[in-house]
Parts: sequence; structure tokens; C-alpha cells
Amino acid sequence: MSGALLLQSLILGILLGGLYALLAAGLTLYFGIMRVVMIAHSAFLILAAYLAWWFNQQTGIDPLVSLIVTVPLFFVTGVLMQRLLVSRLKPLTLTMMSVLLTFAVALVIEGTLGFLFTGTQRRIPLPYASESLNFFGAQVPVVKLIAFGLAALALAGLFVLLKYTRFGQALRATIQHPEAARLVGINTDRVAGYGFGLGLATAAIGGTALSLDATIYPSLHWHWIGPLMAIIVVGGLGSIPGAAIAALVLGIAQSLLQLPLGPTWAQTVFYVALFATLMFRPQGFFGGRLAQRF
Amino acid sequence: MPSVSSREPIATETVVIAPPAPRRRPAAKWVTIALLIVGAVLVLSFPTIAPNPYILSAGVVILNYAVLSTGWNFMGGFTGYISLGHAAYFGLGAYGTALLIKYLALPGFVAWIVAAILVAVIAIPIGIAALRVRGASFVIVSIAFVLIMLLVFQSWRDVTGGSEGLNVPRPFPDMLRPEHHRVFYYLFVALLVFALVVWWIIDRSKFGTALKSIREDEDKAQSLGVPTTRYKLIAYILSALFVSLGGGLYALWFGDLDPIFQFSILIGSYMVLMALLGGVRNLFGPLLGAVVVGVALEYFKLEFGDTQFHLIATGILLGVVVLFMPDGIIPAVKGLFTRSSNAASIREVTAGELLEQNAVRSAAQESPRRTNASGEETTS
Repeated sequence: MSGALLLQSLILGILLGGLYALLAAGLTLYFGIMRVVMIAHSAFLILAAYLAWWFNQQTGIDPLVSLIVTVPLFFVTGVLMQRLLVSRLKPLTLTMMSVLLTFAVALVIEGTLGFLFTGTQRRIPLPYASESLNFFGAQVPVVKLIAFGLAALALAGLFVLLKYTRFGQALRATIQHPEAARLVGINTDRVAGYGFGLGLATAAIGGTALSLDATIYPSLHWHWIGPLMAIIVVGGLGSIPGAAIAALVLGIAQSLLQLPLGPTWAQTVFYVALFATLMFRPQGFFGGRLAQRF
Repeated sequence: MPSVSSREPIATETVVIAPPAPRRRPAAKWVTIALLIVGAVLVLSFPTIAPNPYILSAGVVILNYAVLSTGWNFMGGFTGYISLGHAAYFGLGAYGTALLIKYLALPGFVAWIVAAILVAVIAIPIGIAALRVRGASFVIVSIAFVLIMLLVFQSWRDVTGGSEGLNVPRPFPDMLRPEHHRVFYYLFVALLVFALVVWWIIDRSKFGTALKSIREDEDKAQSLGVPTTRYKLIAYILSALFVSLGGGLYALWFGDLDPIFQFSILIGSYMVLMALLGGVRNLFGPLLGAVVVGVALEYFKLEFGDTQFHLIATGILLGVVVLFMPDGIIPAVKGLFTRSSNAASIREVTAGELLEQNAVRSAAQESPRRTNASGEETTS
């Protein structure tokens, strides 16, 4: 095995890990805000990818432009979903029932995509699809770099938003202690809605990034939800930095394991990590207070 | 003196209102028995009523769903741990049976039993890992387990046949197709009855009560001395056992296995949907749900064929059930007849309501006393 190949796998792993990190951050947001496990997250991811593909097919413009529409659209959808669906569930059984509810949403999205666009595999024909940069002998496809750049930008934006704005402070307060947040005058319901919208907006960005270099089909989201769920459990439910680190580590591990094992078996690394985490450290490796009970 | 008596502190006078004891009217019992008999007659006579072999095979499929869903309910109904991944045990039961016949040349039904026992053994470590966490993580683990099984059975081409599928030798090689359906229909009925009887026995036992206490409040159950971890594990293994029995029988009946169908999350979600729709706390809840959902699924397959419409319908139905009737059809229908407004399982009245009721009662007790006081000491 040559060094260049190894380096290439490492780089591809980091690039993939970046995308995982963005999506896992979205999942962590939902969980932090409302203890909701959003199974439909990856379904929305595929929906965004389909919208980007459809946009490109109809107009011929670069799919990245579709972000102008999909990000606000997904944000509003997220807010509405939180206000109209999730907040109706009884608090006592919220976690379990939210899994089922978002699972139902995922099924509806998958079914609708299959209904409208059929099960045919789709791919966006990009002029720069086959171009790649040479980096110390490693070939790095440009589309993967763009996807990573998009994910990194979105993550950085999310970080700044959460850390330095008033809304971010309110959101973090809601995550840490909803009752105390209400006591100091934060409208936690509204903040929770916006937080949901933010989470779904990450799916819009991730989906567009995914559409650049992936072949998409309606049931693709099952291939994403498993690894993403594993990542947030390994990282510790509710911890965004934990999710990001776990995403990078597991993304790199998957990419490196592809060399000896092939792509299918390499995917099992997520599940092995998941079961190992549950056996030895059920609260996750970077989890805070939240993770204790889940 | 009247003035003193009227100043008596009334707040300390707590009136304990016992929750109304669950009264069963004798009529309700007869209705239940009559419904049971009618249901049993309908189920048993279905093969003779069924106009063609296709309808009969649909009946077998629905019975299979009922077995799976009842099996799921050993875990989901008793302990409240919702597993979306029981399709893994369905697939393992089916593949286990097929592989045992293929490689060890066991007779079909022996392989079926052996496979189910093996799956139950496999369920032990999985259960231990999954039950270390509650709520959300448990569901995640259960989904991950199906995905991992799908991956393994698709990739392990030499043994499982991969995506090509696996052919299961028929247990009755010279039987004609309609006859085959009929025999398996009754086999599935027998398995379903067995599962229902075991569920019913557990439901009435101390073990079942302990499991239900886990469902209502795990921490309190633990503090009262219920060995929660062990009990949950037993329920999980029983549940896996029945689901894998259903899977194995399916393999013997259908004769052709394919990893994408056997290990699909969709099958797992059907089990949950059926059980929730019928009512997880009722013996016949999953069966009723299986009939409703199963008939609907067969209808969608006939009417819309290969389109993804059944996914949308399943999703919408699941969403409606979760949002509007998480307790299922049976309690909702019962509520219509008995009109017992308090369907809560833990306590009939909340602490706040109790306080309010106490206040009303003590006010009611106090007011006649006050009129007495004003009516010139009739009490003293």
C-alpha cells in the first residue's frame, strides 16, 4: 500500500468527516433542544439533494445556487415541524414518540420522492465533476473539496451564531436548563422552534453538498441515518463538539478501512463503535450532563 | 362556640379520594367472550371462505404480521421500550432456518426451532448492550442492529447468497400451492395462539406486573426492588424468540429470502405501527393492528403496484397514530362504551386535581356547618 494512497484516504476521510460533522451537529441540536431524535434528518438531507438536482435539471444553473431557496425553506419547515408536530407530543413519552413521529416523516419524504422522481438513480452532471487537485501525490476531487468547504463554513457559522449572538445564548440556555431560561425571560418555545429550523437548515446545506458528488435515490437516507446516529451516540448525545469530533474520527476510520476491507464492510466501523460505546461508556465519549440518561 | 368552630383550619382536613375501582360490568365480559368466539370462527374458517389462493396467501401474510407484532409487543408493550429494529430478528429467524436446512440438512421444522433458539442466544449480548441505555439510544441501537445485519447478509455472498437471494427447500415438496398456503395458514394460527397465550400468562403474572412497572416508571420500579435489567433482558429475548419464530415460518412458507426485504427497517416499523394502532396494552391489540395495516398494505400493493405510495400511507398512518391516539384503537373504542374518563395507567387523578377535589369537598363540608352556626347552634 503506497503512502500516496494512504494520504489520499486520510484526506478523503477528513473531507467526509466534515460533512458528517455538519449533519451530526444538526441532529445534536434537535436532541439538545427537545430530546428529540430526528430520524427524518437524513431524509431531509436527501430531499435537499433532490431539490438541488431538480433545480439543476430545470435551469442548468450550478446546484449550489439552489441553497438560496432551500436553506430558508428548510428553516421554515423546521420551525413549523416543531410548532405543529413535535410540540404536540406528551412530554412524558416525548423521546420515544418523537422517534416514531420523525420516522413517519422520513417515510413520507421517501415515498413522495419515489412517487415524484421514481426510484431511478440520479446524478448531477457537473462540468468540474471529474477534476481533481494533486496534493503530494494524492488525488483530491474538487467536488469533495467544495462539499467540505460548504460544510466547514456552515459549521463555523453555526458556531459563531451559538457562541456570540443573543439568540445563540438564548438557545444554549434553553438547551442547558429550559425552566431557568424561561425564568429569565426567554421564550423557550420560540427559541426551540428556531433551533429546529437551524437543524433542518444544516440538512439543506449538507444535502446540496452531497448532491455534488453522490448518486442519489429515494431510499439513500437509510445509509446515512445509521452512521449519523452512531456518531451522535459515540460523541455523547447533546454535545455538538463531541459530535463533530466523533464525526471526524469515524469518517477518517471509515475511509482508511476502505482500503483493506472494501466500502461495504468499512461501513460497519460505525456500528462497531456504537456497540463498543454502549458497552463501555453509554454516555458517549464527549457527552456532558445531558447524555447521562439517554 | 360557633365562632371558634367556623375558624377551624380546614386545610388540614384531607379527604382522601380513592380512585374508582375498575369495575367490570358482567355484560362486558360476555361481549368479550362473544367477540372472541366470533373472531376465532372467522380466523379458522378463512381458508374455506377465501375465494382464491391469492386471498389465502394474503391471509398468511397478515397472520405473519400478527405474529411479528405480538412478538414485538413482549418488549414494546410490557416494558415500553420501542424497538424499531425487530426486523433483525425476523431476518435472522428466516435466514437461520434456511441456512440450517441448506448446510446441516436438518428437516425443515427442526431447523425452524433450532434457528429460533440460536436467535434467542444471539439476542442476549445484543439485549445487554441495547438495554444499557434508555429511550432514544435504545431506538438508535435497534435501528443500527438492522442496518448492520443488512450489511452483513448482503456482503457475505458465499454463505447467504447476498442480493441474489436464498432459496429455502420446501418442507412439503409434493404439496400443491393452495394446499401449501392452507397448511401454513393453520401453522401461523397455531403460532399466533401460542404467542398470545404466553403474552396473556405474562400479563397476569407477577413478572408481567414488574415489567409494566418498568414501563410506567423505571426508577421507581428499581427502587421497589424490581430487578429491572434482568427482567428487561428476559422480555427482550422472549420478544426476539417469537419474532424469529415468525421469520422462520415465513421462510418455510415463502421459500425465497432476500436481505433487503428480510432486514428492512420497514418491517420493523410495521410491527411498531400495528402494535400501537391496536393498542400495546391489550392482548389483541397487535393482532387487530396487523389486520388493519396488513389489509391496507395488500390493497396498496394491488392498487398502486410498484409506486412508493404505500410508504406515504404508512408514514401518514404512523404519524396520525402517534399524534392522536398513542394508546391505540382498542382503548379508544372501549372508552366510547364505558365512558370511564380516566384512562391514565399510573394514577387516576393528578396531585393537583386531588388538591382541588379536596378543597371542594372541605368547602362543601364546611358550608353546611356554617349555616348551622348561623342558624343558632343546632350542632352544640
